[in-house]
Amino acid sequence: MSTNIELLEKGHRFPPVSFALDEATVRQYLEAVEDAALPALCRDGGQAWAPPMAVAALALRGLMEAMGLPAGAVHGSQEFEFRRPVAVGERLASRAWVAHRSQRSGWLALAVEMEATDEAGQTVLAGRASVLIPQ
Amino acid sequence: MPTRSTSETWSVGGELPALSKSLTQEKIDAYARASGDFNPIHVDPAFAAGTFFGGTIAHGMLLLAYLSEMLTAAFGRAWLAGGRLKVRFKGVARPGDTVTVRGKVERVQDEGRRPDADARSGRPSGRLFAAVECVNQEGQVLVAGEAEVRLDG
Repeated sequence: MSTNIELLEKGHRFPPVSFALDEATVRQYLEAVEDAALPALCRDGGQAWAPPMAVAALALRGLMEAMGLPAGAVHGSQEFEFRRPVAVGERLASRAWVAHRSQRSGWLALAVEMEATDEAGQTVLAGRASVLIPQ
Repeated sequence: MPTRSTSETWSVGGELPALSKSLTQEKIDAYARASGDFNPIHVDPAFAAGTFFGGTIAHGMLLLAYLSEMLTAAFGRAWLAGGRLKVRFKGVARPGDTVTVRGKVERVQDEGRRPDADARSGRPSGRLFAAVECVNQEGQVLVAGEAEVRLDG
């Protein structure tokens, strides 16, 4: 369910979203971004890891759906911290909240902080995104 | 390319393994399907033509995926376990563009011997900071920022 963008004041918390890094999802992502390094790392290490930016993209996906961003909204900046590798097949939950809101030059700027946690409740990803929305 | 993650291997000024990608609308559409981000600014040429950008643009997260591939190639598991990335989007990539991601080590903080298992192994630890960017075929900087990884000897 999306949120009216006008209601996204500082401190607003989005409902948590869960998502899975299943094999098909990871394969589709790797093909889309043409990533050769992660598969090589997995072959060498004998572990099937999800690309860290896939974890971030899927965490953001749920957030964007919850925000109900209007067409034309763009990314201004992005921060990520990858706390640990995420294995293919893991299920995660993402949580996000509005950390800052301002308006300038016909754009609404929102800074949203987020984290993704594993099934034990441990944070595997933390991040902050700034989004610019034309007004 | 073999991955490297030791502070002995990397020194200030060292260049990360740059890589280039050619962008097409088909690749942007494929990323939209993989990420679930179907913002029309990325996938609807008719809509995008009427916006500030005048046409479709690649997802910022697609460019970050290219940066992440470079950082995975450079630092291996260290990038997945403790990597940090902080970037600003300064320009847009469009279908037909060739983008290149590159980076250079800015500083390496030696944190000495760890007071835990690493101390027993005698391996050094520290953090490495690299300036990273994504540029287009004209050299215009599209994404710029800093990546950080933990070095575990």
